[in-house]
Amino acid sequence: MASSSSSGLTFKLHPLVIVNISDHYTRIKSQSLPPPTTPHTASASNGAAADSSSPPPPPPRVFGCVIGVQRGRTVEIFNSFELLYDPSTHSLDRAFLEKKQELYKKVFPNFYILGWYSTGSDAQESDMHIHRALMDINESPVYVLLNPSINPAQKDLPVTIYESELHVIDGIPQLIFVRSSYTIETVEAERISIDHVAHLKPSDGGSAATQLAAHLTGIHSAIKMLNSRIRVLHHYLLAMQKGDIPCENSLLRQVSSLLRRLPAIESEKFQDDFLMEYNDTLLISYLAMFTNCSSTMNELVDKFNTAYDRHSRRGGRSAFI
Amino acid sequence: MNLNMNSMESLVAQIQGLSGSIADVNQLHSLLKQSEDLFHSELARLAPLLTELDPSIHSLGYLYILEACTSAPISKEQANELVLSVARFINLCAAEQIRLAPDKFISVCKRFKDQVMLLEDPMRGVAPMLTALRKLQLSSEHLTTLHPDFLLLCLLGKCYKTGLSILEDDIFEVDQPRDFFLYCYYGGMICIGQKKFSKALELLHNVVTAPMSILNSIAVEAYKKYILVSLIHLGQFSISFPKYTSSVAQRNLKNFSQPYLDLVNSYGTGKISELETCVLANNEKFEFDKNLGLVKQVVSSMYKRNIQRLTQTYLTLSLQDIANTVQLHSAKEAEMHVLQMIQDGEIYATINQKDGMVRFLEDPEQYKSCEMIERIDSSIQRIMMLSRKLTDMDELLSCDPLYLAKAGRERQRFDFDDFDTVPSKFTI
Repeated sequence: MASSSSSGLTFKLHPLVIVNISDHYTRIKSQSLPPPTTPHTASASNGAAADSSSPPPPPPRVFGCVIGVQRGRTVEIFNSFELLYDPSTHSLDRAFLEKKQELYKKVFPNFYILGWYSTGSDAQESDMHIHRALMDINESPVYVLLNPSINPAQKDLPVTIYESELHVIDGIPQLIFVRSSYTIETVEAERISIDHVAHLKPSDGGSAATQLAAHLTGIHSAIKMLNSRIRVLHHYLLAMQKGDIPCENSLLRQVSSLLRRLPAIESEKFQDDFLMEYNDTLLISYLAMFTNCSSTMNELVDKFNTAYDRHSRRGGRSAFI
Repeated sequence: MNLNMNSMESLVAQIQGLSGSIADVNQLHSLLKQSEDLFHSELARLAPLLTELDPSIHSLGYLYILEACTSAPISKEQANELVLSVARFINLCAAEQIRLAPDKFISVCKRFKDQVMLLEDPMRGVAPMLTALRKLQLSSEHLTTLHPDFLLLCLLGKCYKTGLSILEDDIFEVDQPRDFFLYCYYGGMICIGQKKFSKALELLHNVVTAPMSILNSIAVEAYKKYILVSLIHLGQFSISFPKYTSSVAQRNLKNFSQPYLDLVNSYGTGKISELETCVLANNEKFEFDKNLGLVKQVVSSMYKRNIQRLTQTYLTLSLQDIANTVQLHSAKEAEMHVLQMIQDGEIYATINQKDGMVRFLEDPEQYKSCEMIERIDSSIQRIMMLSRKLTDMDELLSCDPLYLAKAGRERQRFDFDDFDTVPSKFTI
């Protein structure tokens, strides 16, 4: 079902959409509902717990619309909203969709309905039905699919964008889904808020120690990633030098332009200030180690005195606070 | 006699056979322990047997035979040969094998040291002793009985630098308290010889404050030197002992060092003339203790101390004024002193030779350099290692039954927040 799209459209996806879909899915899943056939309900249920006697229901699929702007050959998906799925007619709730569309038009006059989204691991046959239904609003809607299963080995985002194309299969022209590539596009405000959301920890991040630890962990992983990438480049350049790989001048040009951008600041004053601040931090850590050591030593001496000193004080030891 | 000869031969054969793997060596060890009397009875025949054995492979057997050889009284002619053969053995022997019989090895090395001193050539013994020390040590933090002997040889042979290399290691395990006392005392003397007064102060401080149940003369001598080094390096000396000094030391040490305490008092006045009269008065006593050299250094340090005091009052001073205040004879002498101090890094100043003025400066260290970063970094590493060791010791002590018994006894009957009945003593 999925081969590469040949429509020549470039897709730009905003992270807000991804977060919206993920949020929708998580909300519905956590409000997990008694099994029978309804895959999901968009209304706020009162947190009914899943029926424990039946086997756990498959994770519900969520549906919604994506909206954005299409300029020429570029399709930019900015936002999304949720929709009700009517299982009897296998279609999305049309009246609701139109009402929402009106409301959004008032705030964002430029945005059009570009397509729809859903969750799951792969596009299914029934999705084509929904896809066709939307074709009267937008002649070539996009289908954004989020894979909610968590795969720690996977490096890319679990989001795929499908387009529909008319292909001739067994002599019958059929609409099938084809995969398209996309890039992520952000506005500065979006980047900040996504960053903030990404760093929310389930545990209480209030105390200074955990915040510091979280901050340092973030920096550490960023540096680690930078280090591994530089190592790849270095290895590549060495191989090129030895002659194992044919010389590729365009890459060399890119590398040299990158290197020429460093170092960003090079002046005597910067060096002085930097070293002074570095020294100050080192001294503070030294002091912290000292305090730590003194406290351990104090406990050790207390224990030693209790165990071995004949002239220890009777009746209670004073604790080291 | 023949029987003994045969058993010796068989023993040698067994040594040669059983020096392969660790299990064999252990077996050999027990065999050798049983045959000790045999060795001592056959002293005359032992020397040729040594030629049959290879010290690097058959170290344990060689050690036993060598120890028996050296236990007999040695004449002066034989001493030279003995020194050579022991030195060769020490260089070649295998460390794991000799660690099985440490006391034998130590006695061999001690006799070696005695012979070397008899020959009045202590420098010959320095290098073999160092090798022996390193082979006997379980780790670089282990203080063996050979350490003070080695330091003594270094002192007598005036090879201070070699001695210093041993003193750099931190000590965490001590075999015998007496070793520790001697090690710190000799180590302090070596540091004084190399003018590393802060390390000398630390070592001598360890001797004075080490736990002791009865007074020993090492501590008495160390206390005298401690006073002098403290005056040279710090410019002052506090008579009160730190809290962790043993009560024995606190009560008795001062009785033996009265002239030194007088010296401290006259140093405190800050006047050279008083100091010199005090020195003259107690000259014989200082000479008897062989501390006269140190005392002379104390006198010269007095000048330094006074000049340093001037830096706190004046920004600029003429050389003549310095000479007058510090009671030196001429401006030239003052210039020499100040120059020496600038070179040693004890003060920061510039001398303007045209008008003979000295300008005192601040410490130019800005703590902005990469060397400072490396210094701090290495200090942090050291302290992290120390902290780890302390935590290990703490955990070890927490499991000590003696501690647990006493801690359980002192515990309150009811804990603070829970009212379960808490056992008031631990029965182990």
